[in-house]
Amino acid sequence: MNEWTLIEKLKQGDEAAFKTIVDTWQDMVYNTALGIVQNAEDAEDIAQEVFVQVYQSVSSFKGDSKFSTWLYRITITKSLDHQRRKKRKKRFAFVRSLFGEESEVVVHPPDFHHPGVALDKKEDAATLFQAINQLPENQKVAFTLHKIEGLSYQEVSEVMKTTVSSVESLMHRAKSNLKKNLSEFYKENE
Amino acid sequence: MKKQSDIEKRVEETLNSVEGIQRATPAPWLFARVKGKLLKAEERTGWEVVGSFLSKPAVAVAGLFLIMALNGILLLNQQSGGSLSAGQTEIVPTDSESLIASSSSFDFENLVQP
Repeated sequence: MNEWTLIEKLKQGDEAAFKTIVDTWQDMVYNTALGIVQNAEDAEDIAQEVFVQVYQSVSSFKGDSKFSTWLYRITITKSLDHQRRKKRKKRFAFVRSLFGEESEVVVHPPDFHHPGVALDKKEDAATLFQAINQLPENQKVAFTLHKIEGLSYQEVSEVMKTTVSSVESLMHRAKSNLKKNLSEFYKENE
Repeated sequence: MKKQSDIEKRVEETLNSVEGIQRATPAPWLFARVKGKLLKAEERTGWEVVGSFLSKPAVAVAGLFLIMALNGILLLNQQSGGSLSAGQTEIVPTDSESLIASSSSFDFENLVQP
């Protein structure tokens, strides 16, 4: 069954079509969310939310872009929203702690280890993911889609609704920021 | 202190550490959990949906400002309401009308005769 048949069937509320869609694209959605939020549990929640939204709003998908491009956009929006919410909560907890109010203790998360990284590169990758987390949102998205999801610049530009040259520029800035952050890290820690 | 070239080498190694990364896979039964979430979403009543919408901080704050603005407008309108606005004319009863109004309850017919 091809992509368009599946989507048409899903628009008619076909559950089997929906299951095929979830089974086909779940790894892509989960891996993208994991690259951005860097937490397995949160990425799992986001993946579920993405497919719930797909089910509820598939009628609005007109086919102007590829289905996977539409899925990437939903995943990125939800992942970034999740991160913003988390940051807001952290800031709020910090402000409350300044006023001496009891609040959740702000715990720094442990190093994130992506399960798809080769064993001998785990430590370096964990350091890299920490540095990726410091990047501005659009650089982080471009870097994640290109390096973690393996999309070409053309595909990244379609997902981000921008030009290939903008993606090149984003990647260039992301790499130079990462280099700067990593050299500072190694100067202090090695 | 570390040599600059050593640091640059470490940075390059770190940047290349995600080359050839494999896709991560979610825990099994994702579809069952998605279905569970969908059922839960369908079970929500209209009032729950309205409640969760209104409890969003942005909506709550916007609502508060709207109420305050409406109060302010009403207050300003009331203050300026004492003077007549342009185009309005005051209806002044004529002498005969006021006589009728004032004497009606004291008609001689209604008065208790001694």
